[in-house]
Amino acid sequence: MSMDEGIAALRARERAARVMGGPEKLRKRREAGILNAEERIDRLVDPGSYVETGLLAVSSAPGANARDTPRDGKLAGFGRIEGRPVAVVSNDFTVKGASSSQTNMKKIGHVKRVATERGFPIVFFGESSGARMPDNMGARGMGTQLGNDPTQYVRHRESPWVSAVLGQCYGSSAWYTCLADFAVMRKGAVMAVASPLLASAAIGQKVDPEELGGWKLHSEVTGLIDRVAETDEEAIDLIRRFLSYMPSHNNETPPRLPPPDQAPQDVAARIRETLPENRRRVYDMRKVIEAIVDPASFFEMKPAFGRTAVTGLARMDGATVGVVANNPRHKAGAMDVAACEKITRFLVMCDSFNIPILLFVDTPGFVIGVEGERMKAPGKIMNFMTALQLCTVPKLSVIMRKSYGQAYLNMGGGRNSDEVSAWPTAEISFMDPAYAVQVVTWGRDVSDDEKERLRQDMERDNSVWGLAEIYAAQRVIAPEETRDHLIQMLDFHQLRRSNGLGRHKLAGWPTTY
Amino acid sequence: MANQEIKSEVTGTVWKIECKAGDRVAEGDVLMILESMKMEIPVEATLAGEIVEITVQVDQPVAEGDVVCVVRP
Repeated sequence: MSMDEGIAALRARERAARVMGGPEKLRKRREAGILNAEERIDRLVDPGSYVETGLLAVSSAPGANARDTPRDGKLAGFGRIEGRPVAVVSNDFTVKGASSSQTNMKKIGHVKRVATERGFPIVFFGESSGARMPDNMGARGMGTQLGNDPTQYVRHRESPWVSAVLGQCYGSSAWYTCLADFAVMRKGAVMAVASPLLASAAIGQKVDPEELGGWKLHSEVTGLIDRVAETDEEAIDLIRRFLSYMPSHNNETPPRLPPPDQAPQDVAARIRETLPENRRRVYDMRKVIEAIVDPASFFEMKPAFGRTAVTGLARMDGATVGVVANNPRHKAGAMDVAACEKITRFLVMCDSFNIPILLFVDTPGFVIGVEGERMKAPGKIMNFMTALQLCTVPKLSVIMRKSYGQAYLNMGGGRNSDEVSAWPTAEISFMDPAYAVQVVTWGRDVSDDEKERLRQDMERDNSVWGLAEIYAAQRVIAPEETRDHLIQMLDFHQLRRSNGLGRHKLAGWPTTY
Repeated sequence: MANQEIKSEVTGTVWKIECKAGDRVAEGDVLMILESMKMEIPVEATLAGEIVEITVQVDQPVAEGDVVCVVRP
């Protein structure tokens, strides 16, 4: 074959691969408003930056027809987002339901390996029916297809992983989502261990797909999804936004944007407007966060899960920070099991990618009672505490109002953060004085006047001044000074001796707790 | 759409009820205030509609997930 003939054959094979599952299947997706595997990549990466790998790869199963398996149902390649490299895997559901097979797993393995070793993020567009049948059947099928890559399902967090659930995600698409640092799901998509069909066949459970693994379940109950999107396009735009906060890999610091053109002018007014004078009243902590960080920079993670806490990425004077806060709007800010899980996972991610942590504290403590105990609350609280203490990135805490009991430690009290500041409204103690009076007078005959005197004494001792006088808080600041204080302290606390890098002690921690 | 149940997010005690059957409410309106952990915890309407029934009384203890009122969209 001459070079010209060879090139003509190459072009013909490339054209054949790009038909994907054929015009009919692609038309149906278009009509349903769902992007195809190529369009998703186009939306993700900078125009003209995509380089595909394995365009000509097809099924290697005995008897498989190459024409039926263009790209073997999974697209893989490299591109750039805002100029920075990224690897991408895009499941093509129109080819064999994007089922996992020997060839396409090699494709995923390759781009994962390159992204990990060369230091850039990988994005998975999940939409797969699971393992390909009958390729995986039998001892030889299993031995050939599975278990040959001992790094397939493990995180050391060398570079960020992102996953989007954009259709049916069973098997590997679900596993990659659970392992990701950021997972987004389009409404209508489903993520589960196995399909409703298999659930019905194997255990006789008739189940609605949304109930089995829909967006409400994963954003509100399991917390396995960080954000929900209405469309494929919105999901992909959220991925680009998430990655804008992240370093390309764990041995660099996050990219720093120029400081905002105009610093927030009305911090004082916005905080005063949000924070109630009455200490019994609740408010939405997210409004306080938004008043303190760079304008429009707050990117919340898992907003509908564990709502007694708020976690999210933001910028301070252009630099990426992770915000962990209590939210009195829900359960008065008392942290429940879901909140502990959400915070733990977020701390692990921030520490792994050299993102300093800001803790905004207003919590009456951890939720107590039967419900939490049944869900292993003490263990969850200690996971959270251990994660906090293993974090080696700078941690700055601000006690805004309540900080009680063990939650005082978990939210960075004392030496559990590198710099503790407090507002004049801060109140710190082991428990609310009203309950403490009951504890200290329990079983004794004490008059109501005496109880009231005890209560007033304990309330006075809760004040911020005690904390300042014994230097358990380094500074007492007005709410409107918080932004400037944090920007200054973030600078003083930069990890200069390691060029901004933490020690990543949490890098191998599980992704779900 | 069927009637929707509004549930308590916390375990606590009903402190004040700020609506009555027949009231029109907007999403986010405060329907009642519970007391839990010495804090006032508002229960908000999760949808707009008409209050069909209030299923709790002042001073009644409620558990997390208990229905406190019913709204017809």
